[in-house]
Amino acid sequence: MDNGHFREGAKAALPIVLGYLPVGMAFGVLAQKAGLSAFEAGSMSLLVYAGASQFIAVEMISKGAIWFPIVLTTFFINLRHLLMSSTLSLSFNKNSLRTLGLLSAQLTDESFAVAMSDTSKISNRPRYLLGLQMTSQLAWISGSVGGAFFGSLIDHRGYGLPFALPALFICLLVLQIKSPNHFWMMVIAGISSLFFKWAFSGNWYILLATLLALGIGMIKTEGGRQEAVGKRQNIKTKDSGGKE
Amino acid sequence: MNAEIIGLIFGMAIVTFIPRFVPMAFFSRWVIPEKVKMGLEYIPVAILSAIVFPILFFDGEGTFGIQPRLLLSAIPVFAFAWKIKSLWGSVILGMLIYWGLGFII
Repeated sequence: MDNGHFREGAKAALPIVLGYLPVGMAFGVLAQKAGLSAFEAGSMSLLVYAGASQFIAVEMISKGAIWFPIVLTTFFINLRHLLMSSTLSLSFNKNSLRTLGLLSAQLTDESFAVAMSDTSKISNRPRYLLGLQMTSQLAWISGSVGGAFFGSLIDHRGYGLPFALPALFICLLVLQIKSPNHFWMMVIAGISSLFFKWAFSGNWYILLATLLALGIGMIKTEGGRQEAVGKRQNIKTKDSGGKE
Repeated sequence: MNAEIIGLIFGMAIVTFIPRFVPMAFFSRWVIPEKVKMGLEYIPVAILSAIVFPILFFDGEGTFGIQPRLLLSAIPVFAFAWKIKSLWGSVILGMLIYWGLGFII
């Protein structure tokens, strides 16, 4: 037990704080515009604490979605934490479930990236990670609550505000495109979502398009792998044929 | 305070906490299969696409169609985000263009 570790972690959070404060404020403003109070926006940042899913929830609330599709979409988009959590588990194998519960509840892409930049600092030093994550989340919550107060002062339709959320989603989407496969996922999910929204009422089009795109992606990579294996076998038979 | 919103927040909190907590607490030796990893990699891009495209091609009443003001705002934001990779910059640029187009369109 060493408070020095906590402080060290808190210091390492500084770049995250600079990012979370303004984006948290944007969340607060948009949440307020969608009808959430400062208390509700702050509660979401405290209890959920997952940026992309919070923005998506706000978008779906403003379109009048019922809670079930929102929770399901949240579940799917936050499933990626499985990877980060299982990676971190290697660094924390001597800690109580209570400590692990606290650490895992505050896991985000950004704090994970900072934590993994030097694994020697986190290895069985829960207070370091706690300092890093608590400072980050504090910035996120302060930004959200501040933004929600500020949001109540500005005009709903003014200053291009209706395009803030679409622009944010576009940037989040672009940041996710890391390979040609990601690009094709965008094309399939994007086009099929237009069809599903046209064909069905409610907000189910997001999940339907996501599942369709994932399904096609799985079949395609499977097919690609079999093709590659087939080609390799062809080469082998050719080679052995040549030898004989 | 709205009971429905509070319920929604708790629902979101629970489904977000589970995948964060379970591997860390119980699966220290669990190796995630490659195929599952790949699927998890693709989920965010699929969900975000399924949100962005309908915003750009449906109007407020839910009718499909070309929306010049939204599309003309979206294209530069795509390009900017691709080149600069700045979340805050993309939002400001998008709002500015959308606001400016309001005077023309």
